[in-house]
Amino acid sequence: MPGSGRRVRATALVRWISDEAGEEAGLLRALGLTSADELFRDVPKKARLGRLGVGASREEPEVVAEVDRLLDRNRPLGRFASFLGGRISARYAPAAVDAIVSRSEFYTSYTPYQAEASQGMLRALFEFQSLWVELSGVDVANASLYDGATAAGEALLFCRRLHEGRRFLVPASLPWEEKSVLANYASGPGLVVEEIPYDARTGRLDLEFVRAAVAAKDVFGLLADVPNGFGVLDEGIFELKGILGEVPFVVAADPLALTVLEPPGSYGADVVVGEGQGFGIAPSFGGPLLGLFACRKEHVRQAPGRIVGASVDAYGRPAFTLTLQTREQHIRRSRATSNICTNESLMALAFVVYASVVGPRGLARLQTSLAEKARTLATALGPLGGLQAPRFESPYLGEFTLELARGDCAGFLERLRRRRVLGGHPLADPRPGAARSPERLLVAPSPWVGEKEIARYAAAAKAWSATGGGA
Amino acid sequence: MSYRQARWEEPAIWELAPPRPVEAVPAIPGVPERFRRREPVRWPELSEPTVVRHYTRLSQMNFGIDTGTYPLGSCTMKYNPKVSEVLARRAGAAQIHPYQPESTVQGSLELTWRLERLLGKITGFPEVSLQPAAGAHGEYTSLLMVKAHFRDRGEAERRTEVLLPDTAHGTNPASASMAGFVTREIPSKDGCVDLAALRAALSDRTACFMLTNPNTAGLFESEILEIAEAVHAAGALLYYDGANLNAILGVTHPGRMGFDLAHLNLHKTFATPHGGGGPGAGVLGATEALAPYLPVPRVVKQGRRFRLDYDRPKSIGKVKTAYGNFGLDLRAYAFIVAHGEEGLRHIARRSVLNANYVAARLGRRLPRPFRPLVKHEFVLSGVPLKERGVRTLDLAKRLLDEGIHAPTIYFPMLVEEALMIELPETESPRALDEFAAAVERALDDTPEHLRAAPTACAVGRIDEVRAAREPILSWKDQRAAAGAVPPPGPEADPGTPPAA
Repeated sequence: MPGSGRRVRATALVRWISDEAGEEAGLLRALGLTSADELFRDVPKKARLGRLGVGASREEPEVVAEVDRLLDRNRPLGRFASFLGGRISARYAPAAVDAIVSRSEFYTSYTPYQAEASQGMLRALFEFQSLWVELSGVDVANASLYDGATAAGEALLFCRRLHEGRRFLVPASLPWEEKSVLANYASGPGLVVEEIPYDARTGRLDLEFVRAAVAAKDVFGLLADVPNGFGVLDEGIFELKGILGEVPFVVAADPLALTVLEPPGSYGADVVVGEGQGFGIAPSFGGPLLGLFACRKEHVRQAPGRIVGASVDAYGRPAFTLTLQTREQHIRRSRATSNICTNESLMALAFVVYASVVGPRGLARLQTSLAEKARTLATALGPLGGLQAPRFESPYLGEFTLELARGDCAGFLERLRRRRVLGGHPLADPRPGAARSPERLLVAPSPWVGEKEIARYAAAAKAWSATGGGA
Repeated sequence: MSYRQARWEEPAIWELAPPRPVEAVPAIPGVPERFRRREPVRWPELSEPTVVRHYTRLSQMNFGIDTGTYPLGSCTMKYNPKVSEVLARRAGAAQIHPYQPESTVQGSLELTWRLERLLGKITGFPEVSLQPAAGAHGEYTSLLMVKAHFRDRGEAERRTEVLLPDTAHGTNPASASMAGFVTREIPSKDGCVDLAALRAALSDRTACFMLTNPNTAGLFESEILEIAEAVHAAGALLYYDGANLNAILGVTHPGRMGFDLAHLNLHKTFATPHGGGGPGAGVLGATEALAPYLPVPRVVKQGRRFRLDYDRPKSIGKVKTAYGNFGLDLRAYAFIVAHGEEGLRHIARRSVLNANYVAARLGRRLPRPFRPLVKHEFVLSGVPLKERGVRTLDLAKRLLDEGIHAPTIYFPMLVEEALMIELPETESPRALDEFAAAVERALDDTPEHLRAAPTACAVGRIDEVRAAREPILSWKDQRAAAGAVPPPGPEADPGTPPAA
């Protein structure tokens, strides 16, 4: 294998460091130094290190071999019929998306603070913001946050800037990861995240609870998700703004669902957040993801994160720049609306390129077909003993909750995995201290799943059911 | 002087398609009519070649590291190895769902575990978490851990202050505020922490002192051991902002310097691409005393198997949807494995050498407010420009016309008209000389020409005041303001800008 010998070069060990023909010596000479050690005389001796113990340098083919050795221990989604979903989805992204994201003018650029040299990224981000405004139905989007969960966290803090109070309401059905992230965002200013119970039959929000909480005058915001953490489409969402009145209303929405569902702005959302990964971004074991955030224009000066705006240049030509920066940490410091600096710009680019290549009709078709697959599977599982699918009697789109009456999600999933089916993911909080919850899975067919794979899922579930699985 | 960025009169993507008849959104069986989107999404239906050409043209109006030198101080804009891009796109890396059974993701778990160990050695901490999504997110997570730590000791009510030097990145005070602390700035002396001022400010109300070392003036805080001692004597914790770790790789590390917590930016020191502003990855290291508070899950090794461990009763919980930005973790892993011990030391040596070389040359033209020996970056003051009626901003814009990115400007705030310059180890002597010569040429240029810059970029100097005063933030705003903003096209063009 080429380069497998530990070849040590006279100067640079790694060719990514610039060192042609011993150029370092020339730089040292120019500084009147004999050794580079003199450059570190300001580091106290007591703070100096011996060896780090990170191993010897390696040539590129060895690095490839090492990383491939590890990746070979993974079994990628393509080897399975996948029904994994939740906030992170596995969908096909046309190769054109990666071709654009791989343009090094985009991916090796920094934050477009020097706007004149960065019009490409700024314009792409302006198009991205416009797309999220269109999907969400509210006025102004920012240029991205880390992921859907942190976008929800930022929305919580945003609401507190708009309204007094101590309590922030979220559905009890919200994924536990998101509840945990929200609790962390709330903890700084000493706020409380409170769970709205759901109806055991339908999985829908208890609106009476919301009414009572709002009447107590201590609620500064409420977040509801579409579809919710159980995959349920809750018609109660249309009534929330009426109940909340002036209390800010946050909707966490799946962007693909919004290609076929009413935009949250139309039923009173003040903020719309979401996870954008499903639009052209590979799941990559969970990151990078893409946090979506949009709000009403009158509140834009309270919004977190970078925002691109249109202006003109010195010759009157249209030009784009980061704007309203006095909200941000590099200017406002401790009084900034958020600490965020690095965001997910490249992922925002992937999002808008994906939507543009697939087109609104293609997106609506994709959502329709995923909903059809989910329905077919739920119908096949419905009659089986020991499991309930869908668990909740409510409309749903591309995902639904499956409950195992006799428990043992792990055993069920393992049984399916042996038939090359990834059957969903457990909804329970895995932390030992967490409250015990029913054994439920969120099941979300991927676009690659066809009748055959659905039949395989159903057959494996049937076998599990017939042998008294979980009992 | 031969640089000229592409200048496409490219319409917005929604202007590329002719209006089409509105097609109703399909009804989905089982979904009540009330949910159905009444107005279909207004976004163009375009062919793939049209979309690709549009974004390719936009890319040509964007400057990246592969285009030219990117001397942004505190940003560590180094070359992003191409092999990492290839590896991160392998199916075994990209096509992995975080909710797959652990038995099917042993490779991702092992790579994560190994990277955490490598970063532990590089930072001097027993435990490292890859969960935070960026540097600021790492700071914020750390401060939540600081809070939890003092809560356990019954001191949370009292320890409400976070101290930081006036050279601190803006994210530090912003993170501290978000975590519910009050911030206090410690004035610097000659660009470094004034130890006496710090001692005077420390009290039993102090929770944490946040410090970047080398700091944003490019100086190594040589009194770091005394600083650590003073902070710990007050019962407070010391936090390391790892933005500038590049300069000291293998020379020293936060653990040895006495820090309790640290974040690193994989998108700086470990060469993962900045992506036009992100994604990043903000690794978090902690001492044994603070490690129990790290976010869950933790990756653990049991025999030959790896698994996610949620059994950490003191953990602050989660700060992000999944575990971390694995796509970037993998790139950083490849970077560290390639460099190894000697390569990492070489990075520190060479980045410091580059900074000192250019600082010595440009120091002959512009004042250097602090001591001459710097680490990976240095600060100049553009104050002399003011006599000629120009500013640091004009100098920065003028550099863009040379095919060189501008340095960080107006930061650190304690230097008037500051230029903060960092030239990482991947920049050749030729690039260093070209950069210095470009700055010198700009200094010799006429004030009129400087104020007119840039002229070689896709657009000329942008009216930022107008952008903030009349915010037009989306297609929707543009439509609303139609008429107020001149439409793009020949009739709106007041003439050709001067040639570069």
